[in-house]
This record gives sequence, structure tokens and C-alpha cells, in this order.
Amino acid sequence: MWMTRRRVLAGGAALLSYSMLASSALSQEARLRVLWWGSQARADRTNKVNQLFQSENPGVSMNGEFLGWSDYWPRLATQVAGRNAPDIIQMDYRYIVEYARRGALAPLDEYLGSVLKVEDFDKVQIEGGSVDGKLYGVSLGANSAAMMVNTVAFEEAGVDLPTPATTWDDMARIGTEITKAGKRKGFYGIADGSGVEPLLENWLRQRGKALFTADGKIAYDAKDAADWFAMWAAMREAQACVPPDIQALDQYTVETSPLSLGKAAASYAHSNQFVAYQGVNKDKLKLNNFPLIGKDAKGGHYRKPSMFFSVSAQTKDPELGAKYVNFFVKDPKAAEILGVERGVPESAAVREQLAPTLDELGRAMLDYVSGLGALAGALPPPPPSGAGEAEFALRTVAEQVAFGQLDAKQGGETLVNEVSQILSRG
Amino acid sequence: MTDATMSTVTAPPPPPAIRRSPLSSTLIHAALIAASIAMLYPLLWMVSASVRPEDEIFSSTSLWPSSVDLGSYVRGWFGLDVSFGRFTWNSFVIAVLTVIGNVVACSLAAYAFARLRFAGRNFWFAIMLGTMMIPYHVTLIPQYVLFLDLGWVNTILPLVVPKFLASDAFFIFLMVQFFRGIPRELDEAAMMDGCGPWRIYWKIMLPLSLPVLATAAIFSFIWTWDDFFGPLIYLNDMNTYTIQLGLRTFVDSSSTSDWGGLFAMSTLSLVPVFFFFLFFQRLLIEGIATTGMKR
Amino acid sequence: MAAVQDSAVAVGAGAKARPAAQGRLAAIWTKHGAGYMFLLPWLVGLFGLTLGPAIASFYLSFTNFDLIRSAEWVGTANYVRIATADPKFAASLKVTVLYVVLSVPFKLAFALLVAILLNRGIKGLTVYRAIFYLPSLLGGSVAIAVLWRQLFAGDGLVNSLLAQFGIEGPSWISHPDYSIWTLVVLSVWQFGSPMIIFLAGLRQIPTDMYEAASLDGASKFRQFYKITLPLLTPVIFFNAVVQTIEAFKAFTPAFIISGGTGGPINSTLFYTLYLYQEAFGNFRMGYASALAWILVLIIGVFTAFSFLTSRYWVHYDD
Repeated sequence: MWMTRRRVLAGGAALLSYSMLASSALSQEARLRVLWWGSQARADRTNKVNQLFQSENPGVSMNGEFLGWSDYWPRLATQVAGRNAPDIIQMDYRYIVEYARRGALAPLDEYLGSVLKVEDFDKVQIEGGSVDGKLYGVSLGANSAAMMVNTVAFEEAGVDLPTPATTWDDMARIGTEITKAGKRKGFYGIADGSGVEPLLENWLRQRGKALFTADGKIAYDAKDAADWFAMWAAMREAQACVPPDIQALDQYTVETSPLSLGKAAASYAHSNQFVAYQGVNKDKLKLNNFPLIGKDAKGGHYRKPSMFFSVSAQTKDPELGAKYVNFFVKDPKAAEILGVERGVPESAAVREQLAPTLDELGRAMLDYVSGLGALAGALPPPPPSGAGEAEFALRTVAEQVAFGQLDAKQGGETLVNEVSQILSRG
Repeated sequence: MTDATMSTVTAPPPPPAIRRSPLSSTLIHAALIAASIAMLYPLLWMVSASVRPEDEIFSSTSLWPSSVDLGSYVRGWFGLDVSFGRFTWNSFVIAVLTVIGNVVACSLAAYAFARLRFAGRNFWFAIMLGTMMIPYHVTLIPQYVLFLDLGWVNTILPLVVPKFLASDAFFIFLMVQFFRGIPRELDEAAMMDGCGPWRIYWKIMLPLSLPVLATAAIFSFIWTWDDFFGPLIYLNDMNTYTIQLGLRTFVDSSSTSDWGGLFAMSTLSLVPVFFFFLFFQRLLIEGIATTGMKR
Repeated sequence: MAAVQDSAVAVGAGAKARPAAQGRLAAIWTKHGAGYMFLLPWLVGLFGLTLGPAIASFYLSFTNFDLIRSAEWVGTANYVRIATADPKFAASLKVTVLYVVLSVPFKLAFALLVAILLNRGIKGLTVYRAIFYLPSLLGGSVAIAVLWRQLFAGDGLVNSLLAQFGIEGPSWISHPDYSIWTLVVLSVWQFGSPMIIFLAGLRQIPTDMYEAASLDGASKFRQFYKITLPLLTPVIFFNAVVQTIEAFKAFTPAFIISGGTGGPINSTLFYTLYLYQEAFGNFRMGYASALAWILVLIIGVFTAFSFLTSRYWVHYDD
């Protein structure tokens, strides 16, 4: 089908026969195109590593492209669809299944041990890059979901900072205390996390449930979801969290979170975003794990690959791609350049090498991720196709409950219904 | 006819000076000034955001920054791998070519639709309007494949060549509407004098349509300047980036963003486009008064 | 103006070079050829660049194309699903129609009013016109997204103003009942383009018509009603049709202001935003193509209807 479509288009193109001809000249040297999302700071580091790889591998020329997160995905999709994919693709945990199952990524298993020497990686983290038993992505760093806490606002309100042992009951009480203290105008205890998927997942895991089963079905029921919404409804009622119209300003980006907007003393994110959050917040921030459902609850968190490097299925030389990825995650000089900007490195050797060189924020990230202990459990299977849509559904239903269009029980039923439908459509 | 044309097409008169009571004039100015404030506010806010400390941009609603720091202009201009001067130049080249392409190609097509009789005219006109209606997201990928096959990806050709082929139906339709407002007596008389369609197009239509051509030029320039989706897809190498792509490079919603740099460069990026507008808007005033022509 | 006078001379000179028509072919050429000559660049673009991708997307609307794998023919399944089992289709269409109905008339009325005010030979015309065009210069930039939140959030400027009158406003931009209005205001605020087009249209109205009417003692209002309005109808028609098409296709405002979500609770889920989410977020380009062609049909019906009614109220000189 694809070929016919291409031929139709080529027919159109033929009308412009005066124009240059298609095929790009085959160059003598191998060329690796790398595409990633991120900031200029990340680009500076990545480009330096690319230079290094180029100088150590004569005959290879590196070409880096980067974009912000929201622009990254349409460009990647267009290039993959147009059969012009970059050789090395930075992948997100959410999208790796979508791309791998559709055959856009090259499996890397055959290079394990030979070119790709990731023996000192956490085994779980290697599995994190696997889809249907094959390795499609090498983790560039571990992170974990985390609460960003504004320490100054807590002090002002005369409330103790949350600790690893803080429960949801504590959090509800603390939240109300901060709101009632009224030290800042229009300021509340915590952000409304009822629509935040990692937070729900953490809460479900403490209950022994999960978001999705390994075969891609929904792994919680309407009762779970209703309890979740009811817990938040109570906090909303008690003014422990921000009201719905303030929460709806949150687009789940660094600068739109109630924390960064100066509306709440705590918000939910991922540990590798700590530097970014601190950048737009005047007050000193602190990383804390998500609250517990009870005193001895465990295993809500997990160390998650923050992002991967995948090798495109369209690349001419997948082995060279694997070699580059290995260089990126293992080479000591590369590690020195990259630091913990993409998360805590997976290689034990690299972690050891970096530990003494970190600044305060980097240190805090490393300590947080490695100090989770029993709070962290096993890595869940990669999210199934449709996970992005399911996250969207959670957010919409949470808003419907928050704005009073549904009660908690109806919300629970609606959510489970919608998510099941989305997953069955795939 | 020639005498009539000569005497009727004269220099533009000043806008009709209508005597008005001072009161109504004051009222109008008061209303316009009030509206101007609402229009200017965003610019003031953007300038203010570009000089204030980064941790204040999102949490403070005041227009006055707590302190002024011009550092974000320097950071914004030089902070990316490629300087903003380069982005500005790239945008400028694309925008100027787009202006030329749109004005030339669309006016040709518009003249055919507005004035010439030929078989299938209504059919083609409907097709032309139809091309305006398709959301570009669904033609994007086939178009990308096409341009890739032509070897045009990562050049400005996909952004510029279509303009020379009148791909922007908006401007064709706009010019059709204005061409149809030009008195037909003019071209009929010219035709009697033996002028062909080329002559009429070149010597009557274009000179008499200066306001709409200026309008098309202004819109082409500004819209190209503001466009980011086309450049996002077709320009991959940072050396070829346009201003809008450069601006968006400051922002990564998943990690650190340089908001100060974004607002500083957003402010600066308005300068060329504003001057372009000021320059071309003079042509808007120079409408041709067709005095003495019977309708 | 020298150019124009030259043209008059050239027109006169052209009379000597009148070509003699020869034979049938020549007759056909004279009748139709010139039209196609002028259309040539557009036709090349249509067949070379525009039509192929359009046909491809129409074909894809009958497939399950997911951007990466080869497309498989699924018949009318996408269209059937849209018609019978897609609540988001109905929701997004409703939001879009609401946006069209609210934003287009307000924007056009505002643009026309300002254009007429500015056309009255007022002092500082160029300054005002430049200032009024400023919001349109900003287009759909990231800066607008941040600014709009500063204006319409709970503690934004708008509520500060309302507080002067003792009104406590909600967070307009993030409340499902009001968020669409902030997008309507954004659209009206960026009224610069139709304003410029109206101004260009007003400049084309011969001043002598007003002079004659003034001599006849016609009032300002009557002049406006009898001269300005009828002669401006082609331009009004153009603005109405084009603005409506653009409003149906509107994507950027909702995309930047809701961060691509169309929230809260799908209250700003424009049709094309939904289409975009399906195509690039959920890998359903085939389905998105079907959505697109339904939109083309809707806009097409509207536009055809506009053209049918136009013969009753739009006055062309020809």
C-alpha cells in the first residue's frame, strides 16, 4: 500500500521534472543523525559527546538535531513516516512501545555483550527498554516520580517538611494548615494531583494494583478509581489542595505547575526535572517521595528509565548505531560531559565516577533516586499502546469530578470504562 | 479613452477632510486611544518579561519587574548554537521570496478568475477554494514524502516554491474580489484600443490594485515570519532555522527553558516585521481614486 | 503616478499592434487560451504539489494508516466510527461551531468599525493603524500563550479590573464554562488582518461618489448605507467566507493556550486539535484523514451556501 501511495505522489512530482532528482548522494563516510528533545544546555553536552565520538571514529560524521518536547514528536513522526528517520532516536518510556511494535526501531539484542556492553546496568533498567522480549532502547538515566516541595512556604506556615514516612492523611492535614495559615495571597497547601497519572500509579501500586497489566489491560477497578477521586474530593473540600480552576492551569509542564505559578507549596513531577523546577522557582525546593497510603506501605515508586536512545530500523548500519549508544552511556569522557542532565546514569561505574563531581542539585537527584529503598518496587511493564490516550482520559475525568460534573463514584466508573475502551481499541 | 484615463487617474487625494465638531473628534480619539492601550499591553508585558528575573515571570502579575536585567538579550542572541542574526536572515530570505511569489503568482491567477472568460473557470475556482479547506495536518506527510523524493527537504524550497505556484488560495481569492471592483470600462476601452490581456493585467490591473497588492505583501511577510510548522518539518539543520524555530528552541517543557531569552528574542523579532508593516502600509493609503469614471 | 500615466500612453500605442484572428484554433486560443496562460503557475502547483497529497490523504482516510506501518484498506470503517461511536467528534465539532459563531461576527464587526473610523481622515491614522495591527503581528507565538494566562487566570489582570467594580471573577482561562471565551477574545483582539482588508476596500471606493452625494445633501449615515456598504460588499463577503473557513480550521490558539490538550474537560478541543491528537498523539493518521475530509465537507457546504446567497447581496462592478 505504501508503495502505491508513493507512486501516486511520484507521479505528481514527475510534473516537476525540471527539479532536482531524488536520491541523495551516497557519501563515502558513514553519517549518523541523532535526534533528541531538550534544552540548549542538553544540546551543548550532547554535541560535545558527538564531536568526541566523531574524533575517535574516523570516517564517521555526526549530525545532531534537537527540539523542545512538544515540537519533537511531530517532526519525528513525519520523518519516520517519510522513511527519513534519524539513525539515533531519543525515546520516551511512553512512546517506545508505539514505535517498537510498529517496527520503527531496530532490536539491539544481537549487539549485547559485543558492541553494547551494559553488563553493569541495573538488570531492571535494561528490561525497561524491552518490548515483547526484545531490546529497543538503552536507558540514558534513571529517575523516579517525585514531589517538588517549596521549603520556604512550609517554614512560613510553621509546618514540618514532608519526610519519606509522610502519609496521605498527614498530607491532607498539612495541606489544610498551609492554606489556613494564609501567609501568601491565593496560596494553597498542595497541587490537586487527582489527574496526575504517576501519582495515581504510585497510589495504586501501594495498594498492590497497577495501571496496566503485562498484556496491556487495565489493572485497577472502578472501586479503586472511585476511592482515589473521593480522597481528592475530601482534600478539595478541606482546602488542602488548590481549587479546580487553578489546577486546570497546570499543563503538566514545569512552568505551568501550581508550584511554579506560586499557588501551592508542593507539586508532582519527576526527579530529573528538579533543576528545571528550581530554575523557575525563587524559593528553595526539596525532592520528596509521594505520600504513603499507610504507615508501612511500600513499593509505590520505581526507578524508571527517564529516556532512551533507540536505533532506527531504517538506519544503514545498526551496529554503528549500537556502538554510538554504548559510547554515550559507558565512555568515561562522555560521562564527564553529560553529567546527570538526562537522569542518574545507569552504569554503576559511571555513577561512581560522577558522584564526587556533582553540584548540589545533581547530588540531590542522585541521592533521591538511590535512596528510595523499600519505597521503590519492581518496574512495571512498558505502557501499552493507547497509554497516552488513557492518561488523557484520567485527566479529563479528574477535571469532571473536580468541577462537580461527576461525583467520585461516577468518576471511577467513567474512568475505568473509558480506559478499557481505549486499550481494547489499541 | 486615453484622454479620459489620463485625466481620471490622478494622484491620490488626501483622505477626505470632513469637518467635524471638536467634541466628536475628541470622543473618537479617546476611544481609539483606549483601544490602543489594550493593543499595546502585550508588547509592554513582553518587554517587561524580557528584562525581569526568570523566577518572576510566571508568578508575578505586575507589569513592573522588580529589577531590570538586560542579560537575557545577550543570552538569547548568542545562547543557541547558531546566533539569532542567522535565524533572522533565514526568515528574511524566506519571507521576501514568499512576498514576491505570492504577489506575482496569485495576481496572475486572480486576474484570470476575475476578468478572463474561459471554459472551466467556475470549476477551477471551486477547486481553488477547496484547497483552502483541507486541514494541513493530513496532507503534511504525503507532502513531506513528495518533497523528500524531490530532494528538497532541509532546504527552503518546500517553503518557497509553492508560493511561486500560487499555492496560497487566500491571496488569489482576495485579489479576485478586488480586481472585480475595478471598473470594467477601463479594460473594455483598452481592449478596443487593441490591448491584449497581458497589457491590461500589467498596465491597468496591477497599478490600480496597489492597496490589495500591498495588503498581500504585508500578510505574506508577516505570516511567513510567524509560521513555524512548515519550517519545523522541513528545516532540520539549525543553520537553516527561522526565527520562530529558534524561539521555540528556548523552550523545552520537559526540562529547563530559557524564558528570559525567549521573551527577549520575541521582542526583537517584532522589530523587522513591524518596520516592514510601516513601510508597506504607506502603499495602503495610496489607493487610486478613479474620479470622473461613470459607473 | 508617472507609471500609471505611462500606462495610459502605452494603452494608446497598443492599438496599432492589434493582431488579426486567424482560423478556428486561433479563435479557441483567443477565447480560452489566455485564461489558462494566466492560470498556468497555479495549475502547475495544483497538479504538482497540492493535488497529490490531497488525494493521498483522501485515500488514507479509508485505511488504518498509523504513520509507520504500511496502510491497510479498511473501507468506510473510519467514517462509520466517526458517525456512530465517537463522542469526541461530536464534542469537538460543537466547540468549533461555537467558536465560529462567536468569533467571526464579533471580529468582523470590530474590524469594520475600526476601519471606518480610521478611514475618516483622522489625525494619526498611520499610528493607530500600526498599533491596532500589533496583536496580529504576534500571531500564535509562545509569548501569547503565557500572556493570555497572565490576563485571564484567577489573579490575572482582567479580574483585577473587575475587582474595581466589586466583581470576583473565576479563572476564566481554566474554567470549562468560560475557557472558550478567552479564545474568542483572542481571535477578536487579533482583528488586524480583516481590518487592513476593509481599509484597502474603503480606499478603492471613488471619493467623487461621496462628493456627489454630499452635494445632493445626503446625510453621513445615508452615504454610508447607500455608497460605502454596497461597494464594500465584495470585501465583506471575502472576509466573512475566509474568516469562517479559518475559524473552522483554527488550531494554533487552542493548541498553544491549552498546551495541546483542548482542556479543561475538552472545552477548547477544536476540531483540528482533536484531529492532530489522533494523527500524531495516537498514531491514527487514517482516522484523522477521515476527520479532515468530513471537515472539508462541512466547510464546503457552508462556502457553497455563501456563494449561492452572495448573488443577492454582493455587488460586483462587472
